[in-house]
Amino acid sequence: MLRFVLRRLLSALPTLLVIATLAFVLLHLTPGGPFDSDRVLVPQIQHSIEARFHLDEPLWRQYLRYLGDLAHGDLGPSFQYRNTSVNELIAQGMPVDLAIGGTAMLLALLLGGSIGLLAATRAGSWRDRLPMSLAMLGISVPLFVTAPLLILVFAIQLQWLPAGDWVSGSWRHLLLPSVALALPFTAYIARIVRSAAIEALASPFIRAARAKGLPARSIVLRHALKPTLMPLVSFLGPALAGVLTGSIVIEQVFGLPGIGRYFVTGALNRDYTLVTGITVLYGALIIAMNLLVDLCYGWLDPRVRARQ
Amino acid sequence: MVPALRALLAVTVLAGLGACAPAGRGAAAPAITLGAGLAVTQQLTRAVDAGGVRTLDPSLSTDVPAERVLDDLFEGLTRLDERGEPVPGVAERWEQSADGRLWTFHLREARWSNGLPVKAADFVYAWRRTVDPATASDYAQALSPVLNAIAISEGRMSPATLGIEAPDDRTVRVRLNAPTPYLLSLLTKAYAVPQYAPAIRAHGESWVRPEYLVNNGAFLLREHVIGGRITLVRNPGYWDAKDVRLTQVTYLPLDRAAQTDRFFAGDLAFTDSFSAEQTAWLRQRLGDQVVSGPYLGNFVIGINVARPPFAGNRPLRLALTLAVDREPLVRYVRQGLYLPAYTPTPPLPGYRAPLPQWAGLSDIERHALAQHYYAAAGYSARHPLHVEMHYPTDSDNRRTYEAVAAMWRANLGAEVSTYNEEFRVELNERHLKKLSLFHYAWIGDYPDPYTFLQLFQTGFGYNDGGYSNPRYDALLDAAGNEADAARRYAELAQAESLLNADVACIPLYYYATRHLIKSYVRGWSGNIQDRNLSQYMYLQEHQGQ
Repeated sequence: MLRFVLRRLLSALPTLLVIATLAFVLLHLTPGGPFDSDRVLVPQIQHSIEARFHLDEPLWRQYLRYLGDLAHGDLGPSFQYRNTSVNELIAQGMPVDLAIGGTAMLLALLLGGSIGLLAATRAGSWRDRLPMSLAMLGISVPLFVTAPLLILVFAIQLQWLPAGDWVSGSWRHLLLPSVALALPFTAYIARIVRSAAIEALASPFIRAARAKGLPARSIVLRHALKPTLMPLVSFLGPALAGVLTGSIVIEQVFGLPGIGRYFVTGALNRDYTLVTGITVLYGALIIAMNLLVDLCYGWLDPRVRARQ
Repeated sequence: MVPALRALLAVTVLAGLGACAPAGRGAAAPAITLGAGLAVTQQLTRAVDAGGVRTLDPSLSTDVPAERVLDDLFEGLTRLDERGEPVPGVAERWEQSADGRLWTFHLREARWSNGLPVKAADFVYAWRRTVDPATASDYAQALSPVLNAIAISEGRMSPATLGIEAPDDRTVRVRLNAPTPYLLSLLTKAYAVPQYAPAIRAHGESWVRPEYLVNNGAFLLREHVIGGRITLVRNPGYWDAKDVRLTQVTYLPLDRAAQTDRFFAGDLAFTDSFSAEQTAWLRQRLGDQVVSGPYLGNFVIGINVARPPFAGNRPLRLALTLAVDREPLVRYVRQGLYLPAYTPTPPLPGYRAPLPQWAGLSDIERHALAQHYYAAAGYSARHPLHVEMHYPTDSDNRRTYEAVAAMWRANLGAEVSTYNEEFRVELNERHLKKLSLFHYAWIGDYPDPYTFLQLFQTGFGYNDGGYSNPRYDALLDAAGNEADAARRYAELAQAESLLNADVACIPLYYYATRHLIKSYVRGWSGNIQDRNLSQYMYLQEHQGQ
């Protein structure tokens, strides 16, 4: 097991290197620089600014410097937010995304999981078709429609909850963005759980359990649940990495200082270090989540454990 | 957020708002009952552009959101009043020499937020820091009227030679290259405020964080989430604190659609902008709370006069500018918010911008003249003009440019294709002089025609159209050395009419400020620079939304 984890962690390093290199090269290839402005800059000032961020050096040296800093966990200074490092920005934005993303995922799992299981046990009936049609709607309606609608109803019309902003530790500020973000995931999870559960319920060991006369509740929760979780777990890994690095739409609509917003403004302003930093972080999170997913597989399915 | 997404979002929210508004409420402004006295809680939440504040360092900041906050945090020798006019700030009075090149400012007893007195040397330190190339300030050139500022920013002279000195703690003496009638306005800007050297020496670039910042304005910095919320509280040590009524000001960076949402939700009282296309809808629902006025900026199409087909082809340039119907453009495309423009400089008090003669013609006469010049330039229905126009991606820009291209097609038969590009890509291509027709909008740095006219000076860094006329340059230089304000304006007007005669650009309209302001927010009056200092604002007693 330990060897498996170590091997996976080691093989992650070249992947991360490729991600970092691609991000670095693509950003530098993009037309326009971080300090282009519609103001006049005398060459000395331009040079001084570039020297401060080592942009006057040849690209290969910038690249090596960047990799060297990265190896020490230093993502460099942000270009657009002067006197702030990318590490600080991530440290500031991550808790916001963690709280919202975590709550959203929890809500989605509880709600989507229950709906999926219930639908699977009543496959073909209206109690299956209705929630599944709603789930399809949940998947199809984009966040930039649902989020403002939630604001409209709960913040503007009913005035129950704030329309946005972030106050650390305030559940009232957490609720609307989390629910908005949870809706599409709830729908996905409900559909995944439903089809996996239908498949599991049709498998021979469930038939055997039924033949033994076990109650339906125990069959679903004790025997069918574990294999049902397999496809869900592979969906959850990358999805978690996605919500932890911020949802730009949610952050923009609710005015939250999360990583997604930094990423987009960083890309527009050619903030090389900020964009590459967040890209590498996202890559690392995906790799970590996939590793976790594989470990979960082993726990869920003895056949996978034997192969690991 | 990408503009298309934002637009969609705005439409969605608005469609929803319209759908959910109770019957009959649509036509009326929301019911806010105002009382006679002041509100008990004097806390104001304002919005800034979604980009947020990039830095609060007065020498380094260049963005508009930072300017809003810095106006509340720092005070220069002068400050702006409610109407946007410069009035005494840290300097309580001043005098200037007869030639307008030497100014002496006498400081009042003002204090830093740490209780120490603001001294003349703090201004000397700050100004030197701004122009020093080592500081790497985008705005080093903004202090160019000050003696030696340009040479210092170019590294040819030491910062110590800058034309500012402190003969004693309460006197600042400023030497200028030339008479600068807009100096008092310039001194209200962030790059001219005093800075507290010990804080900068102790904490480096981090000195602007709430825990280290030492400032001298009406408010203190309590919280700064990078790219997020900024909270200010009243500064009891400010010299004019008795007149500051707000106890707390919060700035939130939000895009236009979110600003409108939050205004309706009641947790934002002063927005920074609203989408022009929603003007009628908002006016219907919010009445007087929709506030708009002239703004110091122009929306102009730049012409590359050094490149075919426009090089040496004045008739073609004239035909294009004549064929634009500006009145319907501002009325239907820009919802009547903006003023049509026939010359680059927006209306300024005391300055009479010269209008080209054709500005007074009827549409029919103007179109006929346009067709005449189009033909004179060698173009016809069989041989139409084919040219590209580039602009930075933005839904408002797109509507304008497509309307203009349609007018050229209808009135001349010219085939102008419009291309939108990301801001930095368009900017880059423009500076490389690769574009023939381009977005050339400009927001003035100070209320003076020079800030708009210098764009066409030979060799000026952002003369992207490559216009060059020795007579024009000579007139601008003469105006630059003119101490008499009236004569200076006359010379600038002469230069501007030369620019119009040469058709160096195609002015379309002048910008307008756009705010949603709750009716209980008082103490602002709107001004051409769109700088509304929180220190004058207060909240009136009110009930409901």
